[in-house]
Order: sequence, then C-alpha cells, then structure tokens
Amino acid sequence: MLWLVGGFVFLIATLSIRRYVKQDRLVPSGFTNALEAVVEFVRDSIVRPNVGNQWVNTWTPLILTFFCFILTANAIGLIPIFEVVALLDRFVLHTGANSFVNRLIHGGTTATANFNVTAGLATVTFFAIIVAGSKAHGVVKHWKNIVPHGLHPLIYVMLIPIEIIGMFVRPFALTMRLAANMTGGHIAILSILSFVFLFSEMFARAIAGIGVGLVVAVPLAVGISALEIIVVLVQAYVFTLLSAVFIGMAIHVHH
Amino acid sequence: MNPLVQPDPGLFIWTILTFLVLLALLAKFAWGPLLKALDRRQEAIRKSLDEADRAKQEFARLQDESAKIIEQARIEAGSILSRTRADAERLREDLKAKAKEEADAMMRNAEQQIQLQTQQAMQQIRHQVADMAVMIASKLLERNLAKEDNDRLISDTLKQIELSRH
Repeated sequence: MLWLVGGFVFLIATLSIRRYVKQDRLVPSGFTNALEAVVEFVRDSIVRPNVGNQWVNTWTPLILTFFCFILTANAIGLIPIFEVVALLDRFVLHTGANSFVNRLIHGGTTATANFNVTAGLATVTFFAIIVAGSKAHGVVKHWKNIVPHGLHPLIYVMLIPIEIIGMFVRPFALTMRLAANMTGGHIAILSILSFVFLFSEMFARAIAGIGVGLVVAVPLAVGISALEIIVVLVQAYVFTLLSAVFIGMAIHVHH
Repeated sequence: MNPLVQPDPGLFIWTILTFLVLLALLAKFAWGPLLKALDRRQEAIRKSLDEADRAKQEFARLQDESAKIIEQARIEAGSILSRTRADAERLREDLKAKAKEEADAMMRNAEQQIQLQTQQAMQQIRHQVADMAVMIASKLLERNLAKEDNDRLISDTLKQIELSRH
C-alpha cells in the first residue's frame, strides 16, 4: 500500500515536472498548474515563514514529500479499491488466506490510519528536527539550545527532562493526530453502515435493515465521507505545517 | 488486537525506508528541478518587468528627445525664414538703388547729349546767321566792303547777338 502510494506520487510528480521543466518558456498548464500551486503554497506559506529564507530550499523538498505522500495516502484510503478487491476475492476468486491477494488486502486500508506508518513518518520528522538544528547551529550547540540559557542551575534540573520529553512528545503527537483522524472517519462510517445489520438483526427482517440503510445510514455515510475529504486535506496540511514549525523552532531558537 | 493499533516494527521500518527513498527520488527528480524552475521563472518575470520598465523609460526619453528636436527644428526654420526675408529685402533695396543709379546716369548722359547738340545747333545757326547778315547787308548797301571791314562787322554783330542772348 505504501509502495503504491509512493510509486503513484513519484510517477505523477516526476513525469509532469520533467515535462514542465523541459519547456523553454516556463508556462505551466493543466495539471502542472495545480502541482505548481501546491508546491508554491507549501514553499511560501508553510516552509518559508517557519524555516526562514536561508534554509527554505533545504527543507522544502522534505516538507513537500510529506505533504504529497500523506495527502495521497489519505486520499487513496477514501477510495474503496481494496474493499472491491476483497469482495472479488470473497465471492469470485476464492483464494486462500495466505494468497498474495489476501496479504495485499491485509495491508489495504488507509495507510496513514495505521499507527506504525504515522510513527515512521513522525520519526523522520524527529530526526529532521535534529538535523536542522545541527546544520544551523552545529551538533553541540543544537543540544545546548534545547533549554534556555542563563537560568538558575536548579531550574535546569527540572527543565532538561521536560524539554527532552517534549522532544519525543512532538513526533508522538504527530503520530497520534494523523492516525487517529484517519481511523476516526473510517470508524464513524463503519459504525453508521453497521446500522443496516443491527436493524436487520433487531427486527429479524432484511427489509428493516435495507430501509434504515437507505434512509439513514447511506446519506450519513456520504456526509461523513465528504467530511473525510476535508479531513484528508487538513491532516496532510497539519502534519506538514507542524513538521515545518518544529524544524523552524530548531533553527530559530526563541529563548 | 486490531492490526491498526498493534505495534509492528516491520511496518514502521518499511514506512521510514519507503518515505526516505521517495524523498530522495522526488528531491532529485521532481522538487529540485521544479523549485529551480520556479526560481528561474521568478527571475525571468522580474527581469522582463525590469526590462519593460527600462523600455518605458527609454521610450519617454526618446519622446522627450524627439520633442526637443522638433522644437529646435522649428526655431531653426523660423530663423531661416527671417534671414531669408531680410536677404530678400536687402536684395530688393540693392536692385532699387542700382536701377536708380542707372536711370540717373542715363539722365546725365542725355543732358550732356542735349547740351552738345544744342551747342552744335547754335554754332550752325551762328554761321548761317552771319552769312545771311552778310548777304542782307551787302544787298542793302549794294556795295562790297573790304574783307577786314566785313569780318569786323560780323564779329560786332555776333557780339551784339551774344550780348542780346544774356
């Protein structure tokens, strides 16, 4: 699933950008326009204000990759590709539990709804923060920058553990926020769609379930899916924005 | 346990690897060239705007210059015209003076001529008058005076005529 997302993002971005860059006169058109708008938005509204002019070109690729990767992974999660494959397997293909198709389906939910995936991404942010600080201030100075200078020694006894915890809490928060948001929407849709089976069970009639499904469950699920589209965008934005903010905090130490 | 919340180091590591590979590839093939292209285009836009500004200034300058040239040409044309007018005036005066001079010369010439002819005519008349006087006198006296007497008489007569003219 991740590789699918990665390959998809890579192909789309690389192909359109190569075609674009090869032109003599840089006039964007069609899809390139949208991509360029995204790139400029990420660079000028997310990276530049946080990281600063000096480092903007160093960190824009990372933030852009975060944005595109997370956005694509989130968005593909909304399209029931693997659900369709699973249906086909169940009713048509009848492959075994250990077949390739089944293993594909096993990983085939929204990639970013899995805590392991988001934890991986947040780990990248975690190290990016350290690298950014070290590049801007030198390795030793970066670690000294973690706590404010010139305070009473006793305060450091409290402050240093707090800041070190904070260092880990940031990526942890990123992990949880993204994964929980992605899971939440799917669980809500799942719950609402289970009304159909609940009501069928309660009244012991399929027609009750179908009725509830048509009147309540499907419209609600459609509404939540629409909401999910916004959530998909917002969460990709939030993850990248916070990554940029954290990297910027390591570069511009405010104490 | 739900696979979504089950810790899975394998997936965790694969995610990081996938992401890093994707980052490296995209940075090399997509973001790098695109960001460079964007910068280049920004530069190109700035440059063309600058050029447009410069062209506008150049245009204004040329317009100024051409206005100045036209003004100068107008002044020059005016001066040429006035100079020509003065020249023509002077030429006319010259011609007039020359004509007058010529006319004067002609008048003087004519006067001299007239005087000369008058003198000649007077001379002739004087001779004829003398001859006639001699003839008339000799006829009246019917006698021939001596040649000396004759000449004295004539010159007396002529003196008398000369005196009577004044």
